[in-house]
Amino acid sequence: MIAIAYFIALLLAGFAAGIVGSMSGLGGGVVIVPALTLLFGIPLEYAAGASLVSTIATSSGAASAYVKDRLSNIRIGMSLEVATTLGAIAGSLLAAYIYANGISSYLFIIFGVVLLLSLYPTYKEYKRRHRKRMYRDWSTDFFQLSGSYYDKAEKKMIKYSGYRWWLGELVSGGGGLMSGLLGIGGGVLKVMGMNRGMRLPMKVTTSTSNFMIGVTAATSSAIYWALGYIQPFIVAPAVIGILAGAYLGSKLLEKTASQKIRLLFLILLGVIAVQMILRGIGVA
Amino acid sequence: MEMNDSIAYVLKIGVVISIILIMIGAVLLFLQGSSNGFPIGELASTSSKINSSMFSFSDMINGLLSYQGLDFMLLGIIVLIITPIARVIASVLSFIYERNWLYVVITLIVFINIMVAIFVVPGLLGH
Repeated sequence: MIAIAYFIALLLAGFAAGIVGSMSGLGGGVVIVPALTLLFGIPLEYAAGASLVSTIATSSGAASAYVKDRLSNIRIGMSLEVATTLGAIAGSLLAAYIYANGISSYLFIIFGVVLLLSLYPTYKEYKRRHRKRMYRDWSTDFFQLSGSYYDKAEKKMIKYSGYRWWLGELVSGGGGLMSGLLGIGGGVLKVMGMNRGMRLPMKVTTSTSNFMIGVTAATSSAIYWALGYIQPFIVAPAVIGILAGAYLGSKLLEKTASQKIRLLFLILLGVIAVQMILRGIGVA
Repeated sequence: MEMNDSIAYVLKIGVVISIILIMIGAVLLFLQGSSNGFPIGELASTSSKINSSMFSFSDMINGLLSYQGLDFMLLGIIVLIITPIARVIASVLSFIYERNWLYVVITLIVFINIMVAIFVVPGLLGH
């Protein structure tokens, strides 16, 4: 029976994407889109739709753990979601325009370039340590951009505050735009906005970003649904596979925590990014 | 129960329900060999024309009552999309409880943006 074999192949692709996505720190969506388009020959809009829905699943799954650990800051996340949801709407509309005009090769190129540019910051973010300095400006008080969390490694409560709310808002909005345009979570830009822009500690940043990705991806997927980019037979195995893979990946990460494995996966993703660009240009 | 905990439960329960629905849908689809009048072979092709734009909410309810696999899968996907939105609603309520009016307004803006994406944008696109 061919249909079952196809379903299982998609399930396995999702599983692999989930592992690589969680262990590299980039998320399963970034891996599943190239897998579905390059390996299976699935149209980019269907691949992006499957990726978006999977992103909601992994984000909600991981966020529930982070929220319990009090690592994510709901105020900061919510205030930035004003921009990410608007960005997601704009990005989805832009994607609709591109697909309607049959110029999806541009999206392959954009996808590859965005993925390439994400690799270095993703590699670096895990090495960064907590900043001792507290940054403040008018927005720190007005938008209540401070909080505290318990650091398990240092075994103490760490107080933090962020500033330059407008910069975080702007960069996160760009993350929302990427989410709608490419069907990914857009986490890298959200992390940049909060960590480099607002100077929030990395732990708070990554967990808050994860928390936000679900809302951003839900906004994009609502529009993708109406546009018909969600193909249930592709989405179903992809979601289940990615969720299982991401879960296993996070468990493996706790055990190994090796920087070498991360580097290996990031190199692999670099190769995939180049493949996507070549596909867009029409070489591959 | 604290706000953070209730939000964590909303997220977890949403994901679990949706995965169960998607799995039921897949099992029904493979057992019956077709769904919603489409043979499985037509669904299981790379560039299948069958997608979310063809299903209305009312058709889906009818499909669920007659055990159509695709409708269970689609309902699972809808539950997944709704989960983070439910979280936004939970946050509005908890900010009201905390009397943090600035964040009540901010969270409501986020909610309105999502509603625009669901109900207004598709209409503008002619869907």
